[in-house]
Amino acid sequence: MKKKVLAAVLATSMVAASLVGCGNEAGGDTSADNSTAATDNSAATTDNSAAATDNSAAADNSAAADNSASSDDPVANLIAATTDTVKLTVWASEEDQTLTTQLLEDFKAAYPDVTFDITLGSESESTAKDTILTDVEAAADVFAFADDQINELVQAGALQPVAATYTYDVAGANAAGAVEAATVNGTLYAYPMTADNGYFMFYDASVFSEDDVKSLEKMVEVAEAAGKKIAMDVSNGWYIYAFFQGAGYELTLNDDGSNNCTWNAAGATDVAQAIMDLFGSNVLVDMGDEEMATAIAEGTVVAAVNGTWRAETASDAWGENYAATKLPTFNVAGKDCQMSSYSGYKLIGVNPYSANVGWSMLLAEFLTNEAAQTARFEARGLGPANTAAAASDAVQADPAISALAAQAAYATPQRVGGNFWAPAETLGQILADGSAGSDLQGVLDTAVEGIMAPIE
Amino acid sequence: MKNKKKLSGNYFKDFGTAVAKGDMGVKLSLLVMGAGYFARKQIINGLIMIALEIVFIMTCVFYAAPNLAKFGTLGTVQFEQVFDPLTMTSKVNDYDNSFLILLNSIIALFIIAVFILVYIGNIKAVYRLQVRKEAGKHINTFREDIRALFNEKFHITLLTLPCLGIILMNIIPILVLVAVAFTNYDQQHMPPSALFTWVGWKNFKQLFTNSTTVTFGYSFGKILIWTLEWALLATLTTFIGGILMAQFINNKKTKLPKLWRTLFMVAIAVPQFVTLLLVRNFFADSGIVNTICSNIGLTDFLKSIGLVNSNLTYIPFLTNPTWAKVMIVLINIWVGVPYQMLIATGVLMNIPVDQLESARIDGANSFQIFWKITMPYVLFITGPSLITDFVKNINNFNVIYLLTQDVYVTSDQLLANSNAKEVDLLVTWLFRLTNEYYNYKIASVIGILVFIICAAFTLITFTQTIKGNREEDFR
Repeated sequence: MKKKVLAAVLATSMVAASLVGCGNEAGGDTSADNSTAATDNSAATTDNSAAATDNSAAADNSAAADNSASSDDPVANLIAATTDTVKLTVWASEEDQTLTTQLLEDFKAAYPDVTFDITLGSESESTAKDTILTDVEAAADVFAFADDQINELVQAGALQPVAATYTYDVAGANAAGAVEAATVNGTLYAYPMTADNGYFMFYDASVFSEDDVKSLEKMVEVAEAAGKKIAMDVSNGWYIYAFFQGAGYELTLNDDGSNNCTWNAAGATDVAQAIMDLFGSNVLVDMGDEEMATAIAEGTVVAAVNGTWRAETASDAWGENYAATKLPTFNVAGKDCQMSSYSGYKLIGVNPYSANVGWSMLLAEFLTNEAAQTARFEARGLGPANTAAAASDAVQADPAISALAAQAAYATPQRVGGNFWAPAETLGQILADGSAGSDLQGVLDTAVEGIMAPIE
Repeated sequence: MKNKKKLSGNYFKDFGTAVAKGDMGVKLSLLVMGAGYFARKQIINGLIMIALEIVFIMTCVFYAAPNLAKFGTLGTVQFEQVFDPLTMTSKVNDYDNSFLILLNSIIALFIIAVFILVYIGNIKAVYRLQVRKEAGKHINTFREDIRALFNEKFHITLLTLPCLGIILMNIIPILVLVAVAFTNYDQQHMPPSALFTWVGWKNFKQLFTNSTTVTFGYSFGKILIWTLEWALLATLTTFIGGILMAQFINNKKTKLPKLWRTLFMVAIAVPQFVTLLLVRNFFADSGIVNTICSNIGLTDFLKSIGLVNSNLTYIPFLTNPTWAKVMIVLINIWVGVPYQMLIATGVLMNIPVDQLESARIDGANSFQIFWKITMPYVLFITGPSLITDFVKNINNFNVIYLLTQDVYVTSDQLLANSNAKEVDLLVTWLFRLTNEYYNYKIASVIGILVFIICAAFTLITFTQTIKGNREEDFR
């Protein structure tokens, strides 16, 4: 023990000594240490002053703009007020890089009087929130994200409200569902980019007839006869929602970020029982996304609940028998209920901490206007949120996108707090693998307690 | 412990003596730090100390004071911005960023603490100069001081940079982490848009209480137990595996020992995460191993003896809590044994041959030699590294996270309610809380606890191994 204490003391004194310069005839090295510390400080102050300069520069700009606001056209004002190079960072998904690069070039060409320095980064729409929330101030000026993240982004103050539009009417040009998905508490916070991020049923038309796919029970029956399986990732809050919402039980988001959930109300055990019965058949199976892709390619799965991102896998595997439709009904205590779903949109947001908010908003509009959405469909097959672009024959002919459109009537935008996911995932898991036991009400109560856990 | 008290006692006593017995120059140094040096004609030293004092005062006024003033509340002005649609610019108010206030305050406190040390050291140094002067001894010129730093005091020069590094990279971040544990920094309070503030011990209480809605206490207990089980199992299995492997390869009857050794080294050469992700896919519910098991009838056999639930069509290698835990330990053996084998090989090669020879002459068989001579020797040499391995395994993020992320879904609802899983280690739980749920406050508390557990364990075991004179015993 003594040795260790001594060692600790020695170590501490060593640090202290190097700082105090051993006390003994100090001077030289003390100054070395402290001058480094001093440099740190000055660096910090430099940062501050830089920030201050930024602010004053912004103020200057706005003042200049005010002075020169001879015309009523804000874009003209902005162009007139912009003298320096406009530096912007844009985040788009890995798959969207080529298209976005092209659109950025077009954007630069549309404003020839301004010098742009636009950096394009790669950030998946599904994980944009995680990266942005790590440090909002360091995040991109313009970024693409999936609409399920909008609440948390708004709460973290990472989205600039679309207070005004300049080149096209964002709220009017896009589908009502898309605009709703981009709106939080009555304020529009983002620019809808695509309308294809929800889920629906796709199936092998050589196994199922169009009548079969209307009811999940019928589908299970047909698949069982064919010795095949139907896949759905029910151990995932995103998908299990389809059953409970479809049967009329609610899940809503409160203002403080907690959830309100009635999945344990009277009669909800029938829904849980229905899920257990369906998955107990071992024909409808609980499968994760990747596993599902493999199983579809191998031919064991002939119908799946999934989204457009797996459409290619399915159409490769089933060829001309590939078909897609809205989700089927399922039977709750003798009554057929239409399965609901989360509608999904990809949106483009503007960072309020951007040094060039005006240009960021113009760029966001440019990346989501009708031409851009049409180009995105043509290049990548992503369903447009823009009503005019979605009305084209090419879009209408796409089975996945028309299935999504059919499901849209039963779909709701995703408005749910972070406490939902883990309990819902486990609820799906134990219902699907039959380990829920006989006390279904107790299981639902525990799940709902977790989902509705207060947020402090 | 007495030692320490005496040391710190002396530290302030010396300071007191210096102040009391110091002459004008020393006393003036209390106000103007360079005064003592000027009195001994060490002009440059004096100037440096004055400059240092001025810089410090400036730092206090312009950096420390504004931040420390808000340290008590961590900021009160919320971020607000007004967008002007006509000019397309937004005006932002002068908002407080709680995190920056916290960080800067801690740095400021640190600078102040260091300055106090320097200040006391300075008084003592000038007093020592006074004593030397009175005794008629030589007083160094500035050049001689500098030269001393490259000669008799070279260790100070050498250690300055590492110490600064440790302070910047380790100590300050750790202090910030500790401070965050006492705040409500989470998704609802994320700077820069929102403020967070001090909440005292609330987060610690939350981790140890267990109600229907807050299950952190339940989860913490479960995860802690599994973490310790895992660390013990993982350390022991790889250790024993490594020694056996080294023993087999070192055996004189083994042909091509180098080839075998190289083959096992390949397992190290492949990056761990590649191996682990591949293995995760092999053992997936519809993965290749399951296909093989089902084809050769192993799945049905396991079902018939009750190891696999009868309504499953696959073996839940990584999806059932018990199976997953066993699999994780087994897979870890495969990943970890080559390292231990390397260490053990080195140790085995250094076993004194005379001992082995004499044992053999005395009629001991191979097993006896291994058990009575080799093992104690290896254990003695690798004891300390075993302890570090254990601590490393407590924090073994890679194996657990890569094998179970996106695959394992807990079926324990209480665990799920606090975002935990049966197979989580404290560190993977901590990662999930910060990375997926932004619950920095609870994550900080867990971080502190992990640190305490590791530190306590290391201290206890090291004391046990170092206790007595084991080397003598062994000889």
